[in-house]
Amino acid sequence: MTEVEIIESGKLELYVCGALPESEALELQQSIASSMALQKEVEIIEASYISLAENVAPPLSAVVWTYILDAIGKVKSIDSGTSSSTNWAAITGWAAAIAAICGLFWMLNQNNELERDVQITTTENTELQETLTDAEERQLLTEGILADIRSDNFKTVPLPANPAVAPEAFAKAYYNSDDNIAYIDAAKLPPAPKGKVYQVWALKMQPLTPNSMGLLEDLTALKPGLYKFENFPEAEGFGITLEPEGGSESPTLTQLYVLGTVAPSAP
Amino acid sequence: MEQPNELIISMQKGDERAFSKLYTMYSEAIYGIIYSIVLDEAIAEEVLQDAFIKIWNNSNSYDITKGRFFTWILNIARNTAIDKTRSKSYKNSKKNLSTTNFVDILQSGDNLNKATNAIGVRKFVEKLKPTCIKIIELLFFKGFTQKDAAENLEMPLGTLKTRNRNCLKDLRLVVLGPQQI
Repeated sequence: MTEVEIIESGKLELYVCGALPESEALELQQSIASSMALQKEVEIIEASYISLAENVAPPLSAVVWTYILDAIGKVKSIDSGTSSSTNWAAITGWAAAIAAICGLFWMLNQNNELERDVQITTTENTELQETLTDAEERQLLTEGILADIRSDNFKTVPLPANPAVAPEAFAKAYYNSDDNIAYIDAAKLPPAPKGKVYQVWALKMQPLTPNSMGLLEDLTALKPGLYKFENFPEAEGFGITLEPEGGSESPTLTQLYVLGTVAPSAP
Repeated sequence: MEQPNELIISMQKGDERAFSKLYTMYSEAIYGIIYSIVLDEAIAEEVLQDAFIKIWNNSNSYDITKGRFFTWILNIARNTAIDKTRSKSYKNSKKNLSTTNFVDILQSGDNLNKATNAIGVRKFVEKLKPTCIKIIELLFFKGFTQKDAAENLEMPLGTLKTRNRNCLKDLRLVVLGPQQI
């Protein structure tokens, strides 16, 4: 069929309406595809039908398009579900990273605390060790003193109170005349008043000569109430007086608290 | 009107903007077809909506080399509308409306302020002979095959085709102007 024959046959109108059998429509489609005139004719027929249908249509609400867009958007949102799951993966990744960093900080903190604890414990240990050493030294010292006092080289010299000055006072001296060493046990002396200090004197009897041995102070204290003196002139007796701070050249006899003589050695 | 193949291909690739433009170009005509079948504005809008969703979802089943896009969407719209008229709810609400055709709708409706060529189309319709009205109604609005239409109108196939073409001649004048016959 020629182009004109096809046009005049009225087939193109039915082609546009979709009223032709499929085989006939396909055959016609090939003719149309190869002919500008037929294409033009088809476009005119289509425009005519569209114009007619548009005039039949009542006013169309704009809401319809919104509904369509919404409906196809839902379909889209199913597709975009994949990307949102990717987002979830990313979020999970970040959360894990943050958790790991938090964990790391927590562990560092724990480590610091443990190190601090170890340091404190070490310090306490050192302190305890020092206390122990101190106690051991004190024990050794006490044992040494005890051994000294018990030995035959030491004489016990009681120093009774001077009733006129301090009737309650009492002291003892342990004296080694060979080596000129004396321990003074002054535990039962009343505490020295403020600004005053006890001074120990080595006494020679004929004639009575007091020689200062030293003060009952921290320097000479082995332990509270026990004092050790060395390098003093030979003594035949001991006396303790209360003197102004720093001690005196000669004893203040009005403040003589205790006095005792060394018993003569057994022949 | 030249077929907007670029827009159609873009829509087939999932471009919503292209789909939006195609809706603007064809929705009113498709709505007219649907309304002529269901004869109810609310139902027609619902069917139009369903039809365009089908067009979007099945866009890849259309092949540019095998037919007109308008013909393809026309078939979807008519089938969706006919399915609707077969539903129980529709049958219960609509009765004895089958005698209404596109001319009745056009003459009763107030469409002078919207569609293009409204006055021309109205004049064209007013002059249409009853046979032409029946032929256009069956082939274009109702989607009858040429064979079914010929049987329904009791005329030979060749006669149906040529008469249909002659019936539309005046419409071509209205749409394209007097130089395009």
